[in-house]
Formats: sequence, C-alpha cells, structure tokens
Amino acid sequence: MNPLHISILLFFIGLYGVINKNNLIKKIIGLTIINGSTVLFFISISYSEGGIAPIFSKDISRESVQAMVNPVPQALMLTAIVIGVSVTALALALIVKIYEKYKTLDIQQLLKGR
Amino acid sequence: MKKYISILFLITITLIIIFSINLEFGKPINLEFANHYLNKGIEETGAMNLVASVYLDYRAYDTLIETVILFMAVYGITFFLRREK
Amino acid sequence: MVLLSSYGEKNKMKSSNIIKTIAQKLFPFILLFGIYLILHGHLSPGGGFQGGVVLGTAVILLFLSYGIEETERKVKIKYLSIIEVSIILFFIFIGVFGMLTANFFLKNFLPLGRTGQILSGGFMPLLNFVIGIKVAAGIFGIFYILFKYRGEI
Repeated sequence: MNPLHISILLFFIGLYGVINKNNLIKKIIGLTIINGSTVLFFISISYSEGGIAPIFSKDISRESVQAMVNPVPQALMLTAIVIGVSVTALALALIVKIYEKYKTLDIQQLLKGR
Repeated sequence: MKKYISILFLITITLIIIFSINLEFGKPINLEFANHYLNKGIEETGAMNLVASVYLDYRAYDTLIETVILFMAVYGITFFLRREK
Repeated sequence: MVLLSSYGEKNKMKSSNIIKTIAQKLFPFILLFGIYLILHGHLSPGGGFQGGVVLGTAVILLFLSYGIEETERKVKIKYLSIIEVSIILFFIFIGVFGMLTANFFLKNFLPLGRTGQILSGGFMPLLNFVIGIKVAAGIFGIFYILFKYRGEI
C-alpha cells in the first residue's frame, strides 16, 4: 500500500461522491477530493528512495544533488491546486444562483421539475 | 438499485487499476529533465529553491496562463453574482 | 470563534470586542509573514502562491471581524479590479521586454547576482511579487463578491 494505490482509492471515493450523492454541495466536495487525489499521485511519482527536498541551503551543499528528488511534478502541482480552487469557487457561485431560483439543491427534484 | 450497481462497478475498476500499475514507488523512470534541472539549475538561474526555478524560469509561461485562469474565475463569479438595482 | 450576528438586518455581522482586538493586533504580523514568504521565494520553500494566499487571508480576517460596512470605509474596494488587470499586463510586459532585449519570451534578462541573496536569480523576485499580489487579489475578490451578494435567499 504505497501512495500510488492510495491516490487511486481516493480518486474513486471522490467519484462515488459525485455519482451517488443527491445534494449538489456533496458533488462539489467529491470534485475537490478528486483534485486532491491527482495532486497526491503526481507528487508521489517523483519520489526516489532516500531522497531529500530539492532546495539548497546552508546545511545542504552542492554535492548532495545526487540524492534530490524530481522537482518538475511539484512545480506543476502548484498550478493544479490553484486551478482546483478556481473551479470550486465558480461552481459554488452557480449553486448560489440555482438555489435562488429553484429553492432546492436536490438533484432529483431539479431533474423532475424541469 | 443504481446505487449498488455503481458501487460494484467502482470497486471492480479500482481493483483492476491497482493491480495493473507497473510503477514501483521509489524508483522513478524518465529522469531526463529532472537531471538537467538539478545539475544545471543553480548556475543557470541562480536560485537556491529548485522548484521555484522550474516554475519561474524554465516554465514561466505556464505560470502566466495560470494567473489568467485566476482572473477568469474572479470575473466569472462577478458575472454570475451581479446585482442590478 | 464567537460571531454574534444581529438578527433582523441582512449581512450585518458584529463581533465581540475580543475578536476585534485580536484581529487588529495580529494583522501586521500576518502581513509581515506573507511578505517574508513572497520575498524569500527563491531561497526557501514558499514563493508567490503561498505568500499570496497568506496575504489574502489577512485581509479576509479583517473583513470577518469588523463587519463589511466599517471595513469598506478603510480599505478601498474600487482599486481591486484595477490592480488585478494591471498586474497581468505587467507580467506580459516583462515577458515582451525579455523578448526585445534577448532571445525569447520571458527570458531572464536581469543579472544573476550572488546566489543566496535576495536580489539574485534574475527576475525571479519580481515574478514572485507579481504572482503574490495577483493571488491575494484573487482570493480576496472571490470572498468579497460572495459576501456582498444580496439575493433573496
């Protein structure tokens, strides 16, 4: 059970939340869980055994560059987190408008009353 | 009814994907860019944080587009929640 | 946290005096920590995104503890959109400037300096600063619009 397996499990837990729950806000929470699982997958791909963080400082000299992990997926995931926040914020604004018009947030009632 | 079918389907797909992953945790493959950024990073950019040198110097274009995405999110929220008196 | 809302008037939140005093006394330190994270983005873990979120959260703390009408008089809101748009144009201008003086778009054109100092790494502190302001304005703008929406809920 390494982090790769756990990230796939988290992905499908989030997908279960999107499919099976009837409340709209719970579906949005499922989307956030899927986002988190993707970030975990990418940064656990970049790990190499006995590695340290790719940051030089007073204690870490230039010679220990052989033991550093891959810095590229970490930099990509910074952008991915911000994109997840933007999508969640936009979805919540849409939910506010839906509630104002239809007075309910249940997806079965929204589909019936159309 | 739909609930139980979907749970069964999701558990099946999870097990299929977990048992067909060929990647070992701790042994990365395809390290061509990583070796270049780690070895030459501090003399080409002069930064001690190598992750910052990746997203601010070698791939600054992605960061530019990401700021545009943030701006579009704020504009989208303004557009939906506008109150015309 | 105890936020006492006065019923009968929409969107009018008053907090107790403990919250107001603590928020007012803590605000400069949170601002200082955010600026430290942004400035030392190329020397230690941190950078534009992390420092920007801290800065945005500091202003949100003020808004939550003092109520929105009173803080609106002190913090001018109409400059928010002007700041956001002009910061993106500044980023693009840095890129075009790099293209004019050197080879390609967003090439590092400032001198590299000694590693380990703040003014090193070319335009990395400048870009960190730009991203920090953009993220802080974005986070605060999202919160502000969601809070000021007076609909029939």
